[in-house]
Amino acid sequence: MSKGLSGAIIEQHTDGKKEGAYLEVSVDFVLLHDPLLALILPDLKELGKEILNKEKILVTVDHFAPPSTIERADMVKQVLSFVEEKQIHNCLVYQGICHQLLVEGKWLKPGMLVIGTDSHTTTAGALGCLATGMGSTDILYILITGKTWLTPPDAIRVDLAGQLPPYIMGKDIILDILGSNGEGGFLYQAMEFYDRNMSVSMDDRFAICNMVVEGGAKNGLFSPDEITRAYLQKRDGKAKSLLEKTEKEPVYDSKIEIDLSQLSPNLALPHSPANVCPVGDAANEKINQIFIGSCTGGRLRDLELAAGVLKGKKIAKGVRLLVTPASQDIYIKAIELGYLQALLDAGGTILNPSCGLCGGIDKGILAADEICLSTSNRNFQGRMGDPNSLVYLASPLTAAATALRGYITDPREVM
Amino acid sequence: MNINKDISGRVWLLGDHVNTDLIHPPSCFSLDEDKMKNGLLVGMERLERKMDQTASSESLVIVAGENYGCGSSRETSVRALFAFGVKVIVAKSFARIFYRSLVNRGIVPIVCEELHDKVSDGDLIHIIFDKQSIIPANKNHISFPPLDPHIKKILECGGLIPYLKMEQDHFIL
Repeated sequence: MSKGLSGAIIEQHTDGKKEGAYLEVSVDFVLLHDPLLALILPDLKELGKEILNKEKILVTVDHFAPPSTIERADMVKQVLSFVEEKQIHNCLVYQGICHQLLVEGKWLKPGMLVIGTDSHTTTAGALGCLATGMGSTDILYILITGKTWLTPPDAIRVDLAGQLPPYIMGKDIILDILGSNGEGGFLYQAMEFYDRNMSVSMDDRFAICNMVVEGGAKNGLFSPDEITRAYLQKRDGKAKSLLEKTEKEPVYDSKIEIDLSQLSPNLALPHSPANVCPVGDAANEKINQIFIGSCTGGRLRDLELAAGVLKGKKIAKGVRLLVTPASQDIYIKAIELGYLQALLDAGGTILNPSCGLCGGIDKGILAADEICLSTSNRNFQGRMGDPNSLVYLASPLTAAATALRGYITDPREVM
Repeated sequence: MNINKDISGRVWLLGDHVNTDLIHPPSCFSLDEDKMKNGLLVGMERLERKMDQTASSESLVIVAGENYGCGSSRETSVRALFAFGVKVIVAKSFARIFYRSLVNRGIVPIVCEELHDKVSDGDLIHIIFDKQSIIPANKNHISFPPLDPHIKKILECGGLIPYLKMEQDHFIL
């Protein structure tokens, strides 16, 4: 029996062909980014097969954006040549981080099955899709066949109850869940969120679905509701149909309920996103660098709330504040709305949308013994620089409060 | 690879939740095979593990704890392991993207809870696939569950690309 909405989506995408525990499913949309597409270009060339449906893929150049070494420049060049040769229309260069671009475009709607080369493809689950990441070779198979093999996952129902306090963001919610269940707490499972009072914004939902993979989940999705409908309406200028109500109530293997009103701002301590405590428990830890950005924490609401804390003030002496809007669209809107002006006036440095800082690829690399508080999704040892640097993960509100004081600060103290 | 052929190899013992950023740091991403392999050495250093380069002619069997290979989907981690001669990885559990990528690139992932606590670094172990059995030096057999038929089929082909070729040839016929 299929479990959850994810199981229903898998059922709708298979004609029943099965091998072992794996079902063959058709894939609605594929996301590819520069390095992980570059990795399979030699294999694709050698195979000499055509891409099945060029309209169903999005290629982004966001990891090496723009490239900082000759080798990376060459990879981007190879990707762009491939895009031109194959006449792939959906290609966005330096326009933002792939996971944000995927949900800004008009491609996705609830109920779709979406696969990306990147583990954080789970982000798109906020729109009610079954979205997950795979390695490059899996993606090559999908490009050629339009299909992949999936095991139908066990499903966990996560009820978000109560009202969201103004100092709590999506990041705090997902950190709370990861902290309680551990880094492998949801291995292979589908996490399905029900926002009972519709108090969690779409930007916060993206942050939550983005990080389900840090608990090992296959995917995370929000049951489509009025917030989903409003997002799609605004995005497309017209209403899109939501998931058709299934005849039967979805079945779940287990349930979690979270009272949002009882949450405290959370912090993930080095070196795991599941090593979580309330911000207050680590207060006063001195920080060298604050990063507000990434596919987890660089959206418009993130910049709005951070700017709200820092407007008319200055960041603490000795602290570096780096800000990366998640896309050009967000960048432009954040300029128009004055958020970036406020962050600049406060002493922040604005960088162009890219994955560089979060993945330790370029810019803002940490030296040994430096400590960073980041709104991104992973604080694995050495990810953002020297193996002896330390990274804390927190919400953009906590990041802004910490920038103001220079040490880890609960945002309630400055709001 | 021939997954019906038995394998003997030396154990590298790793802990729980060893992520792909540690296995192969993101800054080491490269399409060049030597650089890709070097990323594995950088990662091993970060795990405070000295990799004995002279041992690379011998089969290496990684024995890991829970959730091995969590984190990023970068397949360079798996390709580097393959280039280093790793043919089999035994873990208490695998992260899902990493598990798929191992199979796709022809490395056999064996899920086995028991082995981890019964071996030490450098131990010689023997894996008998058709009996689903692992024999650590001077110890009793430990059995592991059979591979899923789909996974087995991909591994018997040598990975997902040969599997795809086989499927498509079959389709044309």
